[in-house]
Parts: sequence; C-alpha cells; structure tokens
Amino acid sequence: MAGKKGSKSGLREALAGLVGPDAVSDSREELEVYAGAGEMPALVVRPSEAAQVAELVRLANREKLNLVPVSSGPPHIHGGSWPLKGSVIVDLSGMRRILRTDRRNKVALIEPGVTFGQLQEAVEPLGLRVLKPLMPRANKSVIASALEREPITIPKYHWDMNDPLLCTEVVFGSGEVFRTGSAAGPGTLEQQWAEGHAQKNPLGPAQSDLVRVVQGAQGTMGVVTWATVKLEVKPQARRIYFLRESDLGKLIDFSYRVLRPKQTDEHLILNRWALACMLSEGAEEAARLAEKQAPYTLIYTLSGYEYFPQERVAYLEEDVGRAAQVSGVVPEREIPGVPLQRVWEMLDRPCSGRYWKERVRGGWREIFFITTLDRVPRMMEVMGEVLKRHAWPREEVGVYIQPMQLGRNCHLEYGLFFDPEDADAAAKAEGLCREAAADLADAGAFFSRPYGGWAEVAYSRCPDTVKALRMVKDMLDPGGVMNRGKLCFQEVG
Amino acid sequence: MALQDYLRDMEGCSRCSSCKWVPFNQVKSWRFAKNCPSVTRHNLHAFSGSGKMIMGLSMVSGRSELNDTVTEIIYRCQLCGACDTACKVYRDDIDLMDVLLALRAHCVEQGQLIPEHMLTIDALKREDNVFGEPKARRGDWAEGLDVKDAVGEKPQVLFHAGCRYSYDPDLRETVRGAVRLLRSAGVDLGIAGADEACCGGRAFELGYQGESENFADDMVSRVKATGASVLVTACSDCYAAFNYLYPRMGKELGVELYHITQYLEKLAGEGRLRLRQRVPKLVTWHDPCHLGRKSEPFTGEWKGDKLLRPVTMKRTGKKGVYDAPRNVLKSIPGIELVEMERIKGYAWCCGAGGGVLEAFPEFAAWTAAERIEEALATGAEALVTSCPWCLRIFRDAVEETGALLEVYDLTELALVSAGEGVLAGGAAR
Amino acid sequence: MSVEEARREFVELLGEENVSWEPAVLDCYAWQPTFNDDPDRWVKRPVAVVLPSSTEEVQEVVRICNRHGLRFKSFSTGWGAWNGPTFDNVVQVDLRRMDRIVEIDAKNMYAVIEPYVNGAQLQAEAMKVGLNTHIIGAGPNCSPLASATSGWGVGHDSIYMSYSARNLLGVEWVLPDGEVLRLGTLGSSGEWFNGDGPGPSLRGIMRGSCGALSGLGIFTRCALKLYNWPGPPEMEIDGIMLDAKMEVPENIGYYMCFFPDRKAFSDAMYKLGEAEIAYNALATSFGGYFDILTPRLFRKIEHADSIRSMIVNTFKYTLAILFAANSARELAYQEKVLHAIVREHGGFAMDVTRIKDFFSMLFMSFVRATIPALVFRMGGSFSTALDRNDALDSQAAWREVVREIKEGYIRKGQILDDLADNPYFVPYENNTWCHCEVVYQYDPRDPKHREALEPIFLDVTIAAIERCMEPLFTSDPRVRRLISPLAGNFSKYQQAISRGLDPKQAADNTLYSAEADFDFSGIDPQRVRRLQEVVEQRRW
Ligand SMILES: Cc1cc2nc3c(=O)[nH]c(=O)nc-3n(C[C@H](O)[C@H](O)[C@@H](O)COP(=O)(O)OP(=O)(O)OC[C@H]3O[C@@H](n4cnc5c(N)ncnc54)[C@H](O)[C@@H]3O)c2cc1C
Ligand code: SF4
Ligand code: SF4
Repeated sequence: MAGKKGSKSGLREALAGLVGPDAVSDSREELEVYAGAGEMPALVVRPSEAAQVAELVRLANREKLNLVPVSSGPPHIHGGSWPLKGSVIVDLSGMRRILRTDRRNKVALIEPGVTFGQLQEAVEPLGLRVLKPLMPRANKSVIASALEREPITIPKYHWDMNDPLLCTEVVFGSGEVFRTGSAAGPGTLEQQWAEGHAQKNPLGPAQSDLVRVVQGAQGTMGVVTWATVKLEVKPQARRIYFLRESDLGKLIDFSYRVLRPKQTDEHLILNRWALACMLSEGAEEAARLAEKQAPYTLIYTLSGYEYFPQERVAYLEEDVGRAAQVSGVVPEREIPGVPLQRVWEMLDRPCSGRYWKERVRGGWREIFFITTLDRVPRMMEVMGEVLKRHAWPREEVGVYIQPMQLGRNCHLEYGLFFDPEDADAAAKAEGLCREAAADLADAGAFFSRPYGGWAEVAYSRCPDTVKALRMVKDMLDPGGVMNRGKLCFQEVG
Repeated sequence: MALQDYLRDMEGCSRCSSCKWVPFNQVKSWRFAKNCPSVTRHNLHAFSGSGKMIMGLSMVSGRSELNDTVTEIIYRCQLCGACDTACKVYRDDIDLMDVLLALRAHCVEQGQLIPEHMLTIDALKREDNVFGEPKARRGDWAEGLDVKDAVGEKPQVLFHAGCRYSYDPDLRETVRGAVRLLRSAGVDLGIAGADEACCGGRAFELGYQGESENFADDMVSRVKATGASVLVTACSDCYAAFNYLYPRMGKELGVELYHITQYLEKLAGEGRLRLRQRVPKLVTWHDPCHLGRKSEPFTGEWKGDKLLRPVTMKRTGKKGVYDAPRNVLKSIPGIELVEMERIKGYAWCCGAGGGVLEAFPEFAAWTAAERIEEALATGAEALVTSCPWCLRIFRDAVEETGALLEVYDLTELALVSAGEGVLAGGAAR
Repeated sequence: MSVEEARREFVELLGEENVSWEPAVLDCYAWQPTFNDDPDRWVKRPVAVVLPSSTEEVQEVVRICNRHGLRFKSFSTGWGAWNGPTFDNVVQVDLRRMDRIVEIDAKNMYAVIEPYVNGAQLQAEAMKVGLNTHIIGAGPNCSPLASATSGWGVGHDSIYMSYSARNLLGVEWVLPDGEVLRLGTLGSSGEWFNGDGPGPSLRGIMRGSCGALSGLGIFTRCALKLYNWPGPPEMEIDGIMLDAKMEVPENIGYYMCFFPDRKAFSDAMYKLGEAEIAYNALATSFGGYFDILTPRLFRKIEHADSIRSMIVNTFKYTLAILFAANSARELAYQEKVLHAIVREHGGFAMDVTRIKDFFSMLFMSFVRATIPALVFRMGGSFSTALDRNDALDSQAAWREVVREIKEGYIRKGQILDDLADNPYFVPYENNTWCHCEVVYQYDPRDPKHREALEPIFLDVTIAAIERCMEPLFTSDPRVRRLISPLAGNFSKYQQAISRGLDPKQAADNTLYSAEADFDFSGIDPQRVRRLQEVVEQRRW
C-alpha cells in the first residue's frame, strides 16, 4: 500500500491482492447495479472464501473504507445495501457453496451467495424442504433473507424471530472472526461433526447471542461468511385450501384458532390484488384475475409426514374444518381463474425470471412492519386513510399478512405498483409510503426492519434502544467500516 | 432437642423456596398460591420457614447472634406448619416445624422473650389459662347445661372446652350449643369445670416447653381421675396437643380421643345424631392448622440419618383430620360445600396461632383477612370451621373488613340441623 | 463507598420493613448450598437486602448503588449459588414484591409477568384460557422471567415449548446505571408482542444460552410466549405429590417407551421429532426415576452388582412421552405413530393412562415439572454435567461419556450410586436440537463426597471440550477463561458489553465477565496435562 495510500488505484490494487484481480471492479456499469437509490460506490469486490472477507474487513479498518456487504443478486430493493458514495461493495453472491447437508439433522451449512432455488434443489432429493419467504426473487440469498428476518410462510416452524437461521460465522467490523451458536467451538466444524454435532443450536456461545445483533443489522455489524439454516421434512401428503372472504375479521379469527394448535403448515392471507399480482405476469392480467377473487384469501396447507401421511391430513382436515365452521368460513379447494399448480409454485418456489413485484408494473414501493393479527384491522383503517388522502386506488394496493412466531404476531405488508417511467406515480408512491410509515407507527406498527427512511420513523420512537445499539456498534465495528449511515448509526464512524 | 441438634435439618435446606408455596400440583391460581403468612406479609426470606432455619444455622454456626430483631422474626410466625408440609413434599431429612419450635425454645432459653407472651405465660402460671382469667370461673360457660361434673360423676365422655371456649363471652353460645348437641345425641357427657386447665399446647409453641409439660401432666392425671373412656374437645389447638404433642412428650392420656368433628361424624354414623333440618347454605370449610396438618399423630423419634428414615415416620400433614368435618357438613341437608383453593394439609392459616394474635395482632388480622378473601372468592355465603381461635379471628376480620360472609362453627350448623337451634346474627342460638 | 449512607437512602426509598442489614437476615441470602462446590456452602454475605416493589424503585436502588460504590445482585426466587454475592460490597435485591401477572393476551399467546411470578402460578392462569407456559426442569417454584432473561431454560416440555430464552417478546430491563431499556415493541409503542428490533436485536446482548445471572442489570417485566393447552382449564387432583389421584383428562396420552439400545433410541427420537406429535418428552433411565422415587431402597441395593446390572441394562433407554391432543382423532393419530415408531425400533410402549395410580403420580410431575426437587432425597444434594446442546446424536454420546466418568467415582464411593446413567435428556422444538445433562448425587455432609466435587467437575470439563462442547457453566470465571479462546473469545465481548452498559461496574458481574484460573494444586497432574492437551486440540 506504501505510497498509494488513499488513492483509488492503490486501493484497487490492495483489494486485488486479497481476492484476485478479477474479483475487483470499478466499472460504472457494474457499480450502478449496487447503487440502487443510493449513491455511487467506488468499487465492488467479490470474495470467494471466508478468509478473504476477514482480510478485507481488516484492510477496511486500516484504510477507513466503508464496506457494504451484499449477498443476493440485483435488484437491491430494500435499501439496506444502498451505499454511500465511495463505498466498497462486498458482493458475496459468488460464495455459493453448500458446504454440508445433513438429512438426519435437517440442516444445511451454506455460504451467503446460496439462493433458495439452489438450496431447494440440493435438499429436496434428501426429503427435506427449505423454510422460505413468500416468492423470493430468484437470486435472493438464503442467508441474506434470514439475516433480514424475512418472515417464512410456515408459522409453526417460526418459533422465534431468528428462525430459520441457526449458527453463523461472522467477521465483525473489527475484523475479528466469530462463530455463533453451537458452531462457536470448542473444535473445528469437522471435529464437531465427528462428535455428532450439526450446528443446530442457535444460542450462544456463552452468555450472549451475538448473531441476534448481526441479524437485522443490514450489514452494519459484520459480514456473515457461512451459516447453518434449519430445514424441515418434506411432506409426503399435502393439501391446499382457500378461505375466500370479504370479512378479514373472520380470517383472523380462523387463524387464531388453527395457528395455536399448530395445525396448518403454510398459512397466509392475501388481498385480491396481492394474490392476483403474484399469480400473473403483469398488471393487466392481474386486474383480470383480481376481479375473480374474493377481497381476501387465506391460503393454508395441511401436511402429512413419514408416518401415515394421509391420515394426518385427514384428521386435520376435520379438526380445521370444525374451526372454520366456528369462524364462519368455508374452506375451498381451489380459487377461480388459476390452475392449482400455479398456487403451489407460488408457495414452493422462488420467482423464476423477474421478481413478481417487478412484473406488475415495473416499479413498486412497499411498506411492511410487524403487528398482531387482531391489530390488523386497525392498521388497515390507518392505511386506508392515507390512501384516501393521496388518492391512491385502494383496490390496487397489495396486502400480505404473514403470521409469525406461531401466530403471536404477523408481518403486514402493503405493495404499491407503478410504472417507473411515470415520475408522478413514483413520487406519489414515495410520499404516500413515507406518510403511511409515520401514521402506522403512531398506531403501533413496529418497523422491525427499518430500511432507508423508516429508520427515522422507527428510531425516533426508542431513544434508549438507539443508545444501546450504538454501544454494540462501537463494540463490533469500532472503526465504523460497516455500511455507514444505516439504521441509527448516522453519527457513528 | 436443642437447636444445635437440628443442625443437619438446617443445613439440609437447599433454599428451593417450596416452603413459601402451596404444594405445586395444587396451585390453582396466581392469587392463592402462597402458603406462608409470615413471608407473604413480610417478604424478607428470613420470615419464611427456610429463612428461619437459616437464621438458626447462622446462629449455631456462630455467624450471627440472637437479638431482638431476630427474635421478632422468629415469632412473627403462626407456626401454622404450612411450610413443613410443603417442604416435606420433597424432603425426607428436614423437620422444619421441629426447627421452628426449637428456635423458640432457644429464644426462651436465651432470655429473648416477647413481652406479650410473658403475660400469657404468667397468666398460665397464675390461673391455668392463657387469658389470666380467674381459674375459678373456668366452668361458668356451662352454667345450667345438662352435663355431669366430670370429677366425681364419672361420665363416659369428658368434654374439654379449652381456654378460649371457656372464657370468650362471644363464643359462649357456640360451646354451649356443642354440648347441647352432644347431649341431644344422648352422650353421657361431663366437664371438668373449674378443674379444667389449659392443655399446654400454647406454652409449648411459645417456646416454654417445660411449662407445657406441667400442663400435660396435669391433664393426664385429670383425665385419669374422671374415669372417662373418651375425651372430646371442641378446640383444635387442644386436639393437636393431645394427639401429637403429648405423645411426643411421652404422655399417655389413656382414653379414646376425638375432636368434636370426628365425634359428630361417629354419632351421625351410628344414627345417634340425626341431622334432618335443612340448612340451605353455600358454605366453605376452613381447615384449622391444629385440626389438620398439626394434629397428625406423633410417629416416634428417628435417631439416625433422616435420609434413611422410613417414610412412615415422616410427618407429612396428610394424616390430619380433613374428612370428618367435611362428611358432617355434607350430611346436613341443604348445605352445599365449595372448597377454597388452599385446603387440608396446605390450608392457609387463620392468623391466630403461634402467639401471633397476642404479640402482633395486626399481622394476625391481616392473615385472617387474606383467608376471608379466599373464602369470598368461592362464592360461599358462609365460612365454617371448628376451632374457637379461628372462629374468633374470622368473626373479628369480617367485622373489621365489612365482608359479606357469615362465620360458623361446624357445631352451630349441626345444632340447627339437629333441630336444637336456629341461626341468628351469624351464629346459632 | 458509604454503606451507612446507602442503607439510609434505601430505608427512605423503600421503608424500614423492606430493607435489612441484620446479620442473621443477611445470612438467609448467603446460605446458597445448591450447585455450590465450596464445602463451606456459604457465599459472601450482602451488606444489605432490599425489596423494591416497582421498576422505578429498582432503578432508584441501582442508582443508590452507583452513587455509593456498591454493587447489586438481584434474584427472583434465589435458588442456586449463582444468586449470591461475589463481592464484599453487594446489595442483594430480592424481587419478591414484584409478583404480578400484568397481562395475559390469550389471542396472541403471551403473558406479561414480573420477576416473582412462579411457573405454577403462570401455568394455572394460562390453562384457564387454554394456554400453557414453559416450565424449566428445576420446577414450578422457579420464576419464568428469571429463566427467560437471566438463567438457562430447559424443561420437560421443551419439545413443544422450546427454551426459556427463545420465549421472550418485549422486555423491560433496568440497566446497571439505573436507566431503563425496553426491548422490541415495548421500547417503541409500549406493546409487548415482539422482542427484536428495530434493526439489530438487543436480545443478543441481553443473554445467550445462559443469562447474565444479574451481571447486566435487573429485569423487571417481560412478555413470555405461551403455548396451546388443549387439556382441562383446571386440574382436578387429590393429593400433593406422589400421592396424587386424578382421572385421565380427555385427549391426554402418556407413554413410557423402552428401547433396546442407544442406536434404536436415537433413531426413534429423530423420527418422533419429525412426526411432530409430542407435547412433552423426557428421556431418562430407571436410575433417574428410582433415585427420586425410592431413594432408600436404592441406597440399599448400592453395589449389589447383579441387581444393579439387571436394572441398568433392562431399562436404560426410557422415554416418557406425553400427548395433549386437540381432538380424539388427533390423539388416536399420535398414538398410532408412536406405536409404529417404537415397534420399528424394537422397543415397547407402556400406556401409562391405563395404570391410573402411576399416571396420577407422574402426570403433574411432567406437565408442571413438580418432581425435580425430589432429586435432593437421595443424598441431600446433587450436581450435573451440563454441556452445550446440539444434535441429538451428540447428546446421546455425552450421556455415555458422563456415565463412564461417574462409574469410576461410584466405585470409589465418592458419589452415590444412582446406577451412573442418570440423564436429563430433552429435545427442543421437535428435536431441532437436543439437551442432555447427567445428574450425579452426593451427600454434602460426607467429606469424601465433598472432596470429589472438584475432580468430577474437571473431568466433566475435559470430556466436554474433548467432545467439542462448551461446558454450560461458562458462568464460572475459571471455565470462561479456559473456553473463551476456543470459542471466538466470547469473554472479550461480554466484558465489552459489561463496560458499555455498566460504566461504574455496579452489577455483581463475576458470573458474567470475570475470568480466573483453575487452582490445580491437589489435582493429579495427569488430569491437568490432559486438560491442556484437549484445549490445544480443540482450537479452530
Ligand atoms: C435444583 C436445580 C435444578 C435446576 N434445573 C434446571 C433445569 O432443569 N433447567 C434449567 O433451565 N435450569 C435449571 N436450573 C437453573 C435455573 O435455570 C436457575 O436456577 C433459574 O433461572 C431458575 O429460576 P429462579 O426463579 O430460581 O431464578 P433465580 O434463582 O431467582 O435467579 C437465577 C439467576 O438469574 C438472576 N436473576 C433472577 N432474576 C433476575 C432479574 N429479574 N433480573 C436480573 N437477574 C435476575 C439471579 O441473580 C441468578 O443469578 C436448576 C437449578 C436448580 C437449583
Ligand atoms: S422447602 Fe425445605 S428445603 Fe426448600 S427452602 Fe424451604 S425449608 Fe429449605
Ligand atoms: S409456620 Fe406458617 S407462618 Fe411460620 S414460617 Fe411456616 S408457613 Fe410461615
């Protein structure tokens, strides 16, 4: 580095020394992909193994760089990885090895670039399934999704907020390498495997759970270089049901009844626009499909596993049917205008080709947060008010309700879709979402994943949390090299 | 045995705190889960059964000294025994109740005396009763009743009224009713009148074990002198003294012993007592500590390692008198019994025991009020018990708190059902 | 440091009856014989004990400690040596006046509780609304808040109700400087329904597999997840423990299963987890049952080799499994699956509901975990080889390792004979991962037993490292120093968290952030060498 300290070419050289010249780029074209709605990064580095990442972070400390880790392929939509000017993008999407799968212990050890499709392909032949969010984009990283605490579609497997993430190796902003959960040591991974371990305990080591501060941190604390994720058995019998309703209250009532005893597998609620958009190729088809749908559709599945799978489905069908009766809803076996196969794909597969949100009109804004099922109607009212104020057509707002933590709370997501060429619509959606976030937060919406502008909304409400988070940030990233300006860390670094 | 002799019991305490709770499979609510009045009211661990033992351990280990504060903690305790029952759910090697008694004896031995208790002991010495009322007037309560003079007229059954029934004017009708009830069943009954004396149980619990023994000797010889073959008492304290304490002190009464609830059950069973009148009431039953867990018979003293003591020699509180009063209640037409949450071996104390009523009346009243709340929570109209100490403190608590709850002695309800009395103003006449 | 001044301020704050510095009263907090390897069994005596009744009072207590250079150590029920002071200037904060169930949100399945609500209370109230709470294996006398925020958290019901730490939603936390930190939704909107975020989750610095044991402040309220309870809202039981009598509630199933060998047992356990049928599952051995149910008999057959080996070998792999089904149909299905799995693995299943007295005796000991404190019956005390949990296979191996270690000590009469194989073996979350600790019984009054405690501890620690397990008593400063370098130097982070949240070091944090060396004098040098060897072998 001597003599060239601070210069871009010097930096490039130093980085190339770590990861190889082909894995560093400053081509504008390539960099634009990462910029998103943020500023232009200076460089992108593409490490291929964990040791390089640690070196990179140490270098960043020496050189006062700002590293922005990215694991999924483009587009980078939530703003967690939108860089500040001059940042160095650490693109981990090339680290895509599945290091280990273990049928007996239902676990996979993967690198950050591994996508849902890739992992599914690897584990399904073993009789396992991947716990995943609803219709992730094709190049979405499994680890990134888990680190963002994206909700999975099977609430009964979402015991705690960090599911399905188990153990990780993380390079903290300090450059130190740490392993969390039962992977922490003693022993190398190989030694642990030899003793019958499988890196399945997400807790610890010892008296802290540092993985939890890495999760949700949008790359501000460190870089995860591998992780284990929990897998579940692939059902041997499976049936899908639809509750088509205009009264959301009934669907909520039903959800409480069946989530508590863990009767359903996949379980989610979509309004007609969200459902139609997910199942179609664009806004026009969506509009046609939406017309045929009930205002809200609750989709659930029942499953049978290795032993007497049909019998499991059969008794559950009766028990769940009784709950439906009490809630005043009628389970149906199909929805109009869509072959069942499409719905199964929607539940089971990542998007093939373009991300579904992009398919609708090209551009979109979304707003999501955590609330409880019984608070959803109140949130709908608040959102309804905002939509009215902004004259956004209500019927063209997607609503997705995903129960989490066995139904104790839920992810509530609104999607606004527009033509990106239509600057007015984009600006309108932007303004609407900003206002909605504030109003919804006032009504108790919890922005647990505060991307971009939501950070202000979320953190202005919890100054004590901010203080503690800054303490943690100082501890793990004392040089402030990790993804500056995000969350509540504006003044840090 | 001296405090020192309980070292192994004391250092056996694991500090699990089970002694602060109703045995866990009987915890039915948040509200009524606690069992120990002392620590529930005062909160410092020292007030629990465990805490008192640890203070004892600390003292015998030379780590701390007995002083006024420690003495007061030791005595702010009804000696209700709920801690002992709860501890014994898990432990074979700790006799918590014995340690509590030994602690008090230790206080007395060390001259750490509670002034109010000294008055009681003086009264006992002077007048043979805990109130210091004239000895000669002990039999006044029975004036005009159709009973034999036990000393001389050789009744088959000796009725022992106990100090409180003998002297408490407010309870006079109750005890008289009990006697009328027995007589109506044709029981050949006598009382010792002015010759009756305290059973000595109270003195024992206050730590004056020597005094207690004198009263026991006195009682034994009096019973012998009457020639009665059966002893019935309406007082639970006395019953526990006769059934547990006397054998523990090596005293043999040599008669069949009954608490009045047991005797009524027997009479009813034999068809001698006919409970026919309807008493339409929703009632709940309070198990007096001394009738319940504390009356459990003495099982002998085990000298060796208590971890190896046969279970038959472990007092668990299960063998107290629980069924007899319930059976009598259930046999009264019209009575419907609803149970409180804390019953039988894990019943909450009335608050009066262990010298608390005398020394710390506000704590006693608090304890009683807690029980009244529990009774009210059952929806019962009346709280029924069978001990003059419980009866007295509950009636006072109801008056004090204005609770809408009647308080009866079981004999009062039986009397009415037997057609020998009417209920008036919350008592039987 | 002004103890006198602080005591005066405590009295002013809390009233005389809620503060004490009477030596005998303080000794009630210094007597901590459980999980205390020090033969003396007294820990340090606090300089005062205080009984706050609200979060504000807790804050003020902590501030007084900060002002006067004192440390504080809080607890909820106070069972176990980790509750006692480790410094000379500690104020014991006994939280028993904070005893309310603030709220049960039946729909969203959580309860908000204060520290001195115990497991039995919370369960009784939860069941009334068709819910249940996780109760740790120590028993229902323990505080669910303490386990979730500050202690460990395994219980017989972990297969259905997880680990205490994972059951947290919102948390109210008085930091060691007296400020309040509210986690998750609580900090933002005053609601309790989520404990993580916004952004990074501060639950991550609050605790790990073990809690901070009061070393990071005082938890005053928390929301805990509740779980489905399809059984009766109130339990009709006569009797207080082993004498219990009850009817079998509707849709409850209860089986004892026996497997021929370790492989069959482990394979079957994996299958059972995947079948998602169990409500409660605890694998142990006959030694585990009989030392608590018939301790006297047990001590009589000590060293009677033939009887011993007969019992050990016949009933070694025993699994108790409870079903709480939502319908008769579901129960029938669960039972059918169980039978199929057991049969497939060469075992047999005994339907305990058909043996009413046995059922009555054991039902609450499972559902409410009422039985564990009986473990004191055999020798008066016990300890446990407790190590980091992971895949079931690793735990099944651990069981054998500790059994072997124990056999040696039993043969020498240095611990009691509980047949050596005495595991507490519990899968979490349908066997996502699994727990196995192995209990050993001793009589603390027997000098031979007392002398063996340290060597056993060391043997177990060596074995744990060898097996790539973090000994779960990493709260012990000696273990921390030994293990931290093998596990990412976690101690360094804990120390940083401690400094960050506790600038004046007012919390008694020995069990959270201190490090110490083992005292190897008196320990045979071969053992010490072996320890050094395994430490070297297990670095990554
Ligand atoms: C016999 C026995 C068996 C056990 N078995 C198990 C078991 O099966 N599973 C299991 O998980 N654990 C077990 N434990 C350990 C247990 O987890 C802890 O003792 C404890 O968490 C249980 O709750 P408690 O109410 O007794 O907590 P306490 O004893 O009150 O406290 C436990 C620890 O947390 C701290 N603490 C408590 N409350 C607070 C608070 N509000 N704020 C800050 N710090 C606090 C205390 O200082 C102490 O260090 C066992 C312990 C014993 C003694
Ligand atoms: S129940 Fe017994 S062992 Fe437990 S704390 Fe109380 S006295 Fe000690
Ligand atoms: S005897 Fe009663 S009041 Fe006294 S410590 Fe025991 S339970 Fe508490």
